[in-house]
Amino acid sequence: MAILSLIDVKKNFGATEIIRGVSLDIVQGEKHAIIGPNGAGKSTLFHLISGRYNLSAGSIRFKEQQIENKPPYEIARMGLARSFQVTNIFQRMSVFENIRCALFWSKGYGYSFWHLLGRQTELNDEAMHVLEQIGLTEKAKFPSGELAYAEQRALELGISIASGAELIMLDEPVAGMSHSEAQNAVELIRKITEGKTLIMVEHDMNIIFDVADRISVLVYGEIIATDEPKNIRANPKVQEAYLGEVHSA
Amino acid sequence: MALLKKSSIWIAFIVALLGLPLLFDSILAISILNQMVIAIVFALSYNMLLGQGGMLSFGHAVYFGLGGFLSVHALMLIEFETMVFSILWIPLIGGLFGLLAGIFIGSFSTRKAGTVFAMISLGIGELIAASSLIFSSFFGGEAGISGDRTFGPTFFGFDFAQNIEIYYVAAVWAFIATLFMYLFTQTPAGRMANAVRDNPERAEFIGYSSRKVRFISFCASGLFAGIAGGLFALNYEFITEENLNAATSGRVLLMAYIGGLGYFIGPIIGAVVLTLMNSLLSNYSELWMLYLGIMFLLTVMYLPRGFAGFIMMHQLAWVRGNMKLLIKPYLVTTIPALLFTLCTIALIEMSHTEDEVFHYLGLVLNPASPITWIVILAIAGGAFYAVKRSLLQLNDAWETANAIPKEEET
Repeated sequence: MAILSLIDVKKNFGATEIIRGVSLDIVQGEKHAIIGPNGAGKSTLFHLISGRYNLSAGSIRFKEQQIENKPPYEIARMGLARSFQVTNIFQRMSVFENIRCALFWSKGYGYSFWHLLGRQTELNDEAMHVLEQIGLTEKAKFPSGELAYAEQRALELGISIASGAELIMLDEPVAGMSHSEAQNAVELIRKITEGKTLIMVEHDMNIIFDVADRISVLVYGEIIATDEPKNIRANPKVQEAYLGEVHSA
Repeated sequence: MALLKKSSIWIAFIVALLGLPLLFDSILAISILNQMVIAIVFALSYNMLLGQGGMLSFGHAVYFGLGGFLSVHALMLIEFETMVFSILWIPLIGGLFGLLAGIFIGSFSTRKAGTVFAMISLGIGELIAASSLIFSSFFGGEAGISGDRTFGPTFFGFDFAQNIEIYYVAAVWAFIATLFMYLFTQTPAGRMANAVRDNPERAEFIGYSSRKVRFISFCASGLFAGIAGGLFALNYEFITEENLNAATSGRVLLMAYIGGLGYFIGPIIGAVVLTLMNSLLSNYSELWMLYLGIMFLLTVMYLPRGFAGFIMMHQLAWVRGNMKLLIKPYLVTTIPALLFTLCTIALIEMSHTEDEVFHYLGLVLNPASPITWIVILAIAGGAFYAVKRSLLQLNDAWETANAIPKEEET
């Protein structure tokens, strides 16, 4: 069953078409990777799904509901969480506060100004639990803006998954990491997305073939193939458009 | 025990509020204390916007002023016995009107933070200040409006004719307002205000409308500014356009900034320091605004986190028990720095004075004589050099005091 469906989604900025008619079904529980050369529109596609951009045409359904052109917060409340390519955290707040804020909505606090946070034991325990998962327990009181890069990426991930969203979208989660850091991050991603649906944009082919159940190849705003990793590897169109380019580089 | 430790700072706050008028009981001191508690509430309400919510407002006096105007009208209602209630509730009336104004203005001004918000706040500030001169039936034109606080029912025999009685009323309200503003920072809405300040975009992706988060802070801020306005009305029994114009908005920004936006206690420090400077300095010099400006400049340049930030900077050295290392270098720097400041003030005042002789710190100086100028300039130069030298030592001492001890490094 498809948890997320994109139906002929188009996006143009002025006369420039970035996404030129993408249709895609994401199956519940799958780990789906989106790959493609630079400028193919991968991040734009993420922004369209998560509500940061409005669509020019087409439609997006999440859990049987139309979500296109809804504000990001409404989409997030439905259980769609995302991370960002460039670290996007609450820099002046502590690591713990970052995670706790990410939990508020799903724990039903809304815009409450009558709950004192010190007394919300369950919420605070849950935040500590997420910190434990992403390995930042010891940095709980640390100002998040002063964390090391890999730690900030882990926090970025933590904010995305804290709410317990069913669909998690990660935009280049290991970009800029060293090999060993990336390995750890992949383990972490595997662990925290267990039993959930994952859509991931990534450049590192090893990681993608390692994690993904299915791969979609996006080239110049169009999906030219969606298939299992081994078939993608063998697909001549993909090799020509994308993998070939990587090998020759 | 833990509860006692947690509330110790609040108990200290109560003791200070109640005890200060016993220590300083002159008419002037009581008047300054009254201004101080009003300023504390006002500055804290401003920091809900800027420090906690990332909204730079140039028109915060609007909510203070509107609260104050309605409060004076309420005093008049009591005076003419249209309604009879204790004047103790006046600040609440001011607060509710501030809240109403906040709801109305916040509904469109909180769409964006940053420059857009700042410009809208400036525009609204000008608009209300201009309107207050035009709609004179409510605002009383340039003369403002005045009331009398002594007409309402007495409270255990107090008729509030004395300033000291109003001080205690104000102190109780200030305590309640401060407590609630602090508690607000400890709620989801308060924390999300910080989150939206840091990163409005990301806040949207964890389920929150940045605009609504800002709106809630904005309304709360209007409420507390209105309470401060109500206290002002009780204290002075009159209010004019001056209390809601840009100058008042600028002053509250100064208080919060100089005190330190990043700390809850910051605006309290700022309010205390600026009120003191305002009332005391103006007795000594016509140029006190100039000194205030210089102090603001220096704070922005050298203490970007304000006085509270400067104090908190020493936390690490304190925890490590290294404060004693800093005492001597601080003294060695402060003494010539003070000398330099005094010389600079002398030079500024001498340029300003039109008198033949200039009385300064018990000295009689002759501003017309070049020798006076040369001597003061020389002392100032020497002091400046000494400060530069001792700053190096202070720096070293600072490094030592904050250095990570060997055993901790591993």
